Amino acid sequence: MKKFLFSSFFMMNIFTLFSQTKGIILDASDAPINEVSIFLQDQKILIYSNEDGEFVTKLDIPNNSYINFYKQGYLSKILKYNSDLDLKIVLDKLHINLDEIGVTESFNILGNNKLSSIEKKSLKDDFSSSSMIENIAQLSGVDAISSGTGIQKLVVRGLSGMRVVTYLNGIKIENQQWANDHGIGFTDLGLYEVELIKGSSALKYGGEAVGGVIYFKDDPFDISEVLSGYIGSKFDNSNFLFGNQIGLKWSKNNFYINLHAQYSLASDYRLPNSKYLFNSRYRNRAIKFSIANRGNKMQNIFRYQYNGDEVGIPAHSHENLENVNIDDITNSSINFSQDFKVTRPTQFINNHLLIYENNYFLNKSKLSFHLGHFINNLKEYEKWTIPAFDMVLSNTQIRTNTRTNLDYFTFNIGAQAGIMKNENNTIERLIPDARTNDLGFYSTLDYERKQFGLSAGLRLDYKQIDSEEQDYDKLFSALSSSAGVYFKQQSHLLRLTYSGAFRAPHFAELFADGIHHGTNRYELGNTDLELEKGYQLDLKYQWSNDHFGLVINPFSHNIFDFISINPTDSLYDNTYKIFDYTQFNKVNLSGFEMNFHFHPHSIHSLHLEQSYSFIKTKNYDDNEVLALTPSNKIKTGIKFELEEYNLGLKFKTVSLYHLYSFAQEEIVDNETVTDAYNVLNIALSFKLFNQLNVVLGVNNLLNEEYTPHLSRVKEVAGGIPNPARSFTINLKYEF
Amino acid sequence: MKKTNLLTAATLCIALGFTSCSKDSDCHECHIAFDGPNGEIEVEIGEFCGTALEDVEAPGYSHTIELTVVDGDTVPAGAYSEIHCEEHADH
Repeated sequence: MKKFLFSSFFMMNIFTLFSQTKGIILDASDAPINEVSIFLQDQKILIYSNEDGEFVTKLDIPNNSYINFYKQGYLSKILKYNSDLDLKIVLDKLHINLDEIGVTESFNILGNNKLSSIEKKSLKDDFSSSSMIENIAQLSGVDAISSGTGIQKLVVRGLSGMRVVTYLNGIKIENQQWANDHGIGFTDLGLYEVELIKGSSALKYGGEAVGGVIYFKDDPFDISEVLSGYIGSKFDNSNFLFGNQIGLKWSKNNFYINLHAQYSLASDYRLPNSKYLFNSRYRNRAIKFSIANRGNKMQNIFRYQYNGDEVGIPAHSHENLENVNIDDITNSSINFSQDFKVTRPTQFINNHLLIYENNYFLNKSKLSFHLGHFINNLKEYEKWTIPAFDMVLSNTQIRTNTRTNLDYFTFNIGAQAGIMKNENNTIERLIPDARTNDLGFYSTLDYERKQFGLSAGLRLDYKQIDSEEQDYDKLFSALSSSAGVYFKQQSHLLRLTYSGAFRAPHFAELFADGIHHGTNRYELGNTDLELEKGYQLDLKYQWSNDHFGLVINPFSHNIFDFISINPTDSLYDNTYKIFDYTQFNKVNLSGFEMNFHFHPHSIHSLHLEQSYSFIKTKNYDDNEVLALTPSNKIKTGIKFELEEYNLGLKFKTVSLYHLYSFAQEEIVDNETVTDAYNVLNIALSFKLFNQLNVVLGVNNLLNEEYTPHLSRVKEVAGGIPNPARSFTINLKYEF
Repeated sequence: MKKTNLLTAATLCIALGFTSCSKDSDCHECHIAFDGPNGEIEVEIGEFCGTALEDVEAPGYSHTIELTVVDGDTVPAGAYSEIHCEEHADH
C-alpha cells in the first residue's frame, strides 16, 4: 500500500515536471503591475507577479480552473483558465474597493455572488476589532452573541445557533451550537477569508441552513522552497490578553505544507467602571497543519486542526439573575497570580478536525471529494471534581461535488452524507446519547450571458434521528430550493433571489432535560417538534462608479414551525427557571441592509464605508416580536492610507471603526429594553523594520458603558457591560 | 542564522505554551448554600482537598451543622446537601 502511494505521488510529479504556466499582468496603460496576488482558487495556491508583471509557475493548470487576480487599488479579475489562450491580464485602477460589500465580482466557494447574497471578509491582518467574531460582525446584517470576550458566536439577520451552519474548509462544524454559551469552536489561526450567505440559498452546503452559511477558508499554499511564515503577538489591556501565533509555509515540487500554532491567555475583562468581570477569563491552544500534493489532474489535501479552549462562564449565580448585585460578580482589581487561573464554572472544549480533500480536474469539470471527521468534547464544570456534563459529539461527513462548465452554464451536482453521534461520559446529562444519519442530494444550475444571469437549484435531504434512551426514532425528509436572477446594465445591477430551506429539530431541542449551567436554566426538550421551514425573498440593487458605490438589499424571511426555547413560570429546585422548546406557527424577519463606499476624488488616500442594517421580527402566533431581535445598526469604517506620504516611520494606515447601535425597544415579556450606544475603535499601522508590522489600537475609545441586546449576560444584574476602553498592540514579523 | 534562532525561540514559546502547567489547585473552600428568605446564605464548612473534595461534591453527600448565624440570618441545625465549592469574586 505504501509503495502504491509513493508510486502515485511520484507519477504525479513526473507528469508535471515539464509543464509550466506563465502570464503577464498589466494596467490600462500597458505598464506591468508588481506583486499582484494570483490565487488559483481550485488549487488553493497563491503566487505573485514579479517586477515585470510576469508570473511563471510549474503548475500545469487544468482548463476551467478559476484564477483570481487582485491587488489593492485595482479592480480584481476572475477568469476561467484556458490553456489555448495567452494569460495577459489587464487590471483597471480602482478608486474604491468594495469586495466586502459585494459590489466587486469575486470567486466564492458558496456560489456566484451576482446570483446569491454572498459576502466575504478577509481574516488576514485585521486589527480593527478584538476578535475574529467581532471582525466578521462588522458586516452589515451580522451581529454577535457574546458572554464577554471568551465565548462569542455569529448572528445573521437575527438568526443563529442551529440555523446558521458553519463550515471550515468544506466540513460542517458541529459543536453543540444549539446553546448561546457555546462559541464557534476555533480561532482565526491560519484562516484566510470567510464567506457568508445570508438566508437559506446555499444548496451546496445548506441542508438545514435556514438562516445562512458561514464558510471559513484556510490560508492558501505558497510556492516557495524557502521556508516562509510569520510570528505574531497580540496584547489587549482590557483583559490582559497575551496571544501568540506562528505560521510556517513551505513547498517543493508538488508538495505543499502549511503549519500554524497559537497560544492565548486572557484574564477577567475590565468594565468601564474599572471593575473586572469575575471568571470571564479564557485560555486557547490551537495547532493546525495542511499538506497538499498536486498532480497534473489531481490534488490531494489533508488537514488536521486541534483547538482547545478553557473558558470561564462569567456572571454565574444561584440566585435569580435579575436580583444579582454586580458587586458580587466583579472584582475591583486584577490579581495577576490568581485571575488567569481556571476557576469554576468553566467549559473545557477540545475539538479535533480531520479533513481529506481530493480534487480531480477534467477538461470542463472539476470533481471534488471531502471526507471529514470532527470530534467535539465539551465538558462543563460547576464543581471542581465532577463535570455537570461531559459530552463527545462526533461527526463524520462525506461530500462530493461535480462542477461542469458548458459555455454560459455552470452545473453543480453533488451529494452529502453524515453520521453524528452524541455520547455522554457522565450519568447526569442534559442531552441523552443520540445519533443522526444524514443524506442529501442537490443540483444547481447557473447561467450567465452578457448582462443577464439566472440560477436555480434543488436539494433533497433525509435525516434520521434516534435515541434509545428516549425510545425515539424518526425520519425527516425535506426538499429545499432556490432561484435567482440578475440583470446588469452598465454600472447598475439588480438581483432577486428566492430560497426555501428546511431544518429538522436537533436532538438538544428534542431531548434536553437538565440544568444547563452555562445559561443558568433548566432546559426541557420536546419530542413532538417537526420540521422548521424557511422561505426568503432577497432583492439587491447595486451601483458604483469610480468614487462611489451603493448597495441596497431588502429581504423578507418567513419561517413556519419556528422552533424556539421559551421561559415557563416554573422553577427547578427553587433556583433554575425552566425553559421549554415550542414551535411557533409562523414568524417573519424582514428588513434591509444598505452599504455605501465613498472615496473622494481629491483625497485618494481616504476611504469611507458605511453600512446600515435594519431588521424587524414578528411572531404571528401572538403578534409580538421575537426574543433576541438584534438592534438596528450603522457601521462606519474610515481608512486613511499613509504610505504615499513621507512621514518618517513606514506608516501604512490609520483606520477608524464606529458602531452606532439604535435602542432596541421591541422586546418580548422576559426581555428588557437596550439603550442606544456608540463604540469607536481606532488603529494605526506601520512597519518598524522591513518585516515587522505593528498595529497600535484603542478599542472602545469613548469608554462607553454598553451591553449589546444579544449579550448573554444582558439580563444579569441589570446588564453587564462589554469591555472598557482598551489599548491593543499587535506585532507580526514576516519572513 | 538569525532567522533560525528566531524560529527556534518562537517554536519553544509555542511548545512551552502547550505544555505549560495548568493543574488546578487541589484545595477549595466550600460552603452550604442555604435558601434564606432574602436570598442565598453561605455557611462556610472549611477547605477540602483531593478525595475529600471529591466526596463533598459527590451526589448524596450531606454536611451536618449546628445552628449557625451568618450576618444576622439564622441557618437551622441539620444535614445539608446543597454544597458549593466554586470561587466567587473576592477582591
